[in-house]
Amino acid sequence: MPCEHINEKLDDYMDGTLDDTEVAVLRSHTESCEICQQTLRSAQRLRGLLEDYPVPMPDAAYFDQALTKATRVGTGHQRNRWIMTGFGGAIAAGLIAWIIGGMLLKTPGLPDSDASIPDVAMTLEVPHTVNLVFSSATELDGAVLTVSLPQGIEIEGFAGQREITWVTSLKAGKNILPLTLIATTPHGGELLAKLEHDDRDRTFRIRVTVT
Amino acid sequence: MDISDHNRNATFERLLRPQLDRLYRLAYRLTGSKAEAEDLFQDVLVKLFGKLDDLAGIEKPGSWTSRVMFNHFVDNRRRFARRRLVSVEESQLPQKSVESLPGVDNPEQDAERLDDIIRLGKALAELSDKHRLVVLLHDTEGYKLTEIQDITGDPLGTLKSRLHRARARLRELLSADATF
Repeated sequence: MPCEHINEKLDDYMDGTLDDTEVAVLRSHTESCEICQQTLRSAQRLRGLLEDYPVPMPDAAYFDQALTKATRVGTGHQRNRWIMTGFGGAIAAGLIAWIIGGMLLKTPGLPDSDASIPDVAMTLEVPHTVNLVFSSATELDGAVLTVSLPQGIEIEGFAGQREITWVTSLKAGKNILPLTLIATTPHGGELLAKLEHDDRDRTFRIRVTVT
Repeated sequence: MDISDHNRNATFERLLRPQLDRLYRLAYRLTGSKAEAEDLFQDVLVKLFGKLDDLAGIEKPGSWTSRVMFNHFVDNRRRFARRRLVSVEESQLPQKSVESLPGVDNPEQDAERLDDIIRLGKALAELSDKHRLVVLLHDTEGYKLTEIQDITGDPLGTLKSRLHRARARLRELLSADATF
């Protein structure tokens, strides 16, 4: 058997996928051919190095933290599941205000915000439900929504948190996220909702005033 | 946290914990750096939590979770832009990894082995992403070609040919480097 053919078979030999006859031929050849012997040794040495090529592993605490973080973000999402209904359903549910901020980043591929009521007026300590409404041309899996709140504005159930993140999926069409806000101080400010998918993002802004 | 949250978290941990080591290693092989691997790993855990109902029904979660990671990496390739892997140095190879290498039992051999591994890192950096990935998954991580096919979706023949070329190229680079 010519050396070229032996060379082609070396990988299969080392992977153990040659049949007995082929193995016998290859061994017989390499015993008598110094060049192929050298090639085989080189392949074996490479394989040994590759098997030892290390991954710097983190410690066990890192895995615990990563799991905790994943469940915390995911649980937030479960509590605040997006209502994938149309406008009719939302109105029927008696929701109070349609929100929706202006689009600041002109990145293609993410859903447009629906309308234009950038101001929300709230009364101190009175829960106020607003709806973030997004319409998306396509389904988006694994989108990340981060809501950043001004000081003195909280989302019900998340007291004291200024930033809350959900991982969610958007259906094609209108997607509504109801948020019940509570003003704990009379300051108001700007609420930001940043929607990220893949490497694209858009930020929506809503001005909140408190009386 | 209510009971259903608690149950979901516990189920997630029970299903995922046996996969963590393998998933992290895959993240590192895909990105080539600790920082990027940690970002990718965390992203994918969050994503998998959102797919918990699917995960619970999967017969072979190892392949499935690896595929989710690979797809997330491909979809976010620019974000996880590979730091070119002269990576044995860049990743600050811990000395204990070298000490624990099999077949070495004295400092001179350790040093030689470390040099070889550093040269291997440089040679791997010369390969294309696809060639590097297949050789690392197959020859380093011990994946079968069919498992790599499950993850990447590439045809078996393509993977086999890629693996063959990757090994040949590595031998060529290392022999030019006088390692072999």
